[in-house]
Amino acid sequence: MLFQHIANGLIQGSLYALIAVGLTLVYGVLEVVNFAHGELYMLAAFALYMAFSLLNLPYILAVGLTMLILMGLGFVVARTVIVPHLRRSFETTVLATLAASIILQNGARFVFTATPRQVIVPLEDVIVSLGRVIVTGHRLLVMVTAMIAFVALQLFVRRTRTGKAMRAVSQSKQACLMVGIDVRRIAVHTMVLGAALCALAGAMVAPLYDIFPAIGTTVVFKSFAVVIMGGMGNVPGAMIAAFMLGVCESLAGGYISMAAKDALGFSLMILVLMIRPDGLFGRRVRI
Amino acid sequence: MTDSRSHWLIILSAIAVALLLPIVVRSNYLLHIMIMTEIYVILALSLNLVLGYAGLLSLAPPAFFGIGAYTSALLALRLHLPFWIDMAAAGVGGLVFAAAIGIPSLRLSRHSFVIVTLSFTLLAQLVATKWTGLTRGAMGLPGIPPATVVGIAVLGKVAWYYLIMSITLASLGFFTLLVRARLGRAILTVREDEILAQAAGINTWRVKLHTFAISGFLGGVAGSCYAHYITFIDPSVFDFYYMENLLIMVILGGSGTVWGVVAGAVIFNMIPELLRIHPELRTFLYGIVLLVAVSAAPEGLAGWVGARRVRQSQGSSPEVRGA
Repeated sequence: MLFQHIANGLIQGSLYALIAVGLTLVYGVLEVVNFAHGELYMLAAFALYMAFSLLNLPYILAVGLTMLILMGLGFVVARTVIVPHLRRSFETTVLATLAASIILQNGARFVFTATPRQVIVPLEDVIVSLGRVIVTGHRLLVMVTAMIAFVALQLFVRRTRTGKAMRAVSQSKQACLMVGIDVRRIAVHTMVLGAALCALAGAMVAPLYDIFPAIGTTVVFKSFAVVIMGGMGNVPGAMIAAFMLGVCESLAGGYISMAAKDALGFSLMILVLMIRPDGLFGRRVRI
Repeated sequence: MTDSRSHWLIILSAIAVALLLPIVVRSNYLLHIMIMTEIYVILALSLNLVLGYAGLLSLAPPAFFGIGAYTSALLALRLHLPFWIDMAAAGVGGLVFAAAIGIPSLRLSRHSFVIVTLSFTLLAQLVATKWTGLTRGAMGLPGIPPATVVGIAVLGKVAWYYLIMSITLASLGFFTLLVRARLGRAILTVREDEILAQAAGINTWRVKLHTFAISGFLGGVAGSCYAHYITFIDPSVFDFYYMENLLIMVILGGSGTVWGVVAGAVIFNMIPELLRIHPELRTFLYGIVLLVAVSAAPEGLAGWVGARRVRQSQGSSPEVRGA
């Protein structure tokens, strides 16, 4: 049972990681906490639902289409909500993204109604047993995809021009202006990247549960805890913290109670703030 | 000086009008909206204290409101305690929880404070939904007894209007005294320049913590009023819907002012009710209003009026600008 709980926790952890990494990346580069991040996840889930269940596209194509749609949406959110407020106070950007979150969530409520939708993904009924641990093919795919996404992200920020520019912006916006890096353009790129990770989460993990307009709130609640635990702006930190939270939650749910499972993220976040206010791995921005 | 005298004249006449309104207003529906507006004024003050005076964005007011409502309702239902004791306990409950989350989250930065306060609101709703043994979960707590004042039960909308009006006026009086007192001046210094405040010997962490705890107290009191007035509560008292309304009231009213925020609470609670906008559409429209407001007029209504006044006085005689 113990290993089964750990396996389930790692799968849940990859959901948190996909969301939290985008969140902490945007914070690390732009010092903006994007409260609309959970809504991007929710909209990705609906995009997949429409592409896969309504248009009957093959699953891989539906995931690809979801990513494209979400990257476009990330672009729009960046241009309308984040870039105009880059020079304003932190509170202003928070209020702007909060307003965007409200607009997107209630807009979705109008368009899709609050009825929960189910998506049956193809590999979910393929059973894979690894020793005594049993997982479905789809869940295995989720973990593998998350790992590939993180490796790709690391390569992107270290090897490409845009990635290097993002790291430069996270270190000093003034210096970027002096050497000719367009901070606004990098801001948009960062948001698009975060939205793409949300799209992966929404297209691959959301189908494991019901899909409805409020799903973003719960996920972003856990992801905030992960971002603080990993150290705000610390991408590898968020990744490790996400898997830790996933496993701890799964164990708490299995051995204590479901209520304890939901309160765990918040309690761990408070604990980390009390003991190591800069997060488990330090707040020195590392992307 | 004349300016501040006319300022007080307007406020006193507004209070007089508010006190006389139930003589004219006979519709129970309108009275209900007016009572809800009074409760919103207390809540808006609670947010204004933290956001407008301390410059900290707290997303926890719905949490303190809900904690106050549940504390009050449970004490009344399980222990049959009278209204005043429930309300005091609700305020203390809000204060204790505010202190408990303020201690870890105010240590680090304004950034983590925002996240922790939002998470706390979501957690509070989660606990109210899942801890069915205490809160009966989504079924809610029906049959909360009405308040009794000197042995007489408060029944009917007019009586409730005056009861909550007295609590609202007391909160307003407390608030105006507080922001002029030592703590109020200290908190304004912290907002303007934290390093300067520290250099002047202000323990900025403690000042912020006290401010946040007092705002928790006001939120708890508002929740208690709501629970006893509506007589039924469920986990939706923690809804983010309240937070959105509050942000609109405080920011558009002019955070950091007392009467601007009161006006904001009255206007932005009345307008959508009177226009009969569906609550879901209202949430959506208010989202757009909030986005436009923070983009275009971050100083709010009071800021706009203030800027006009400055411009006018600059036109006539530049030396009275500070009046």
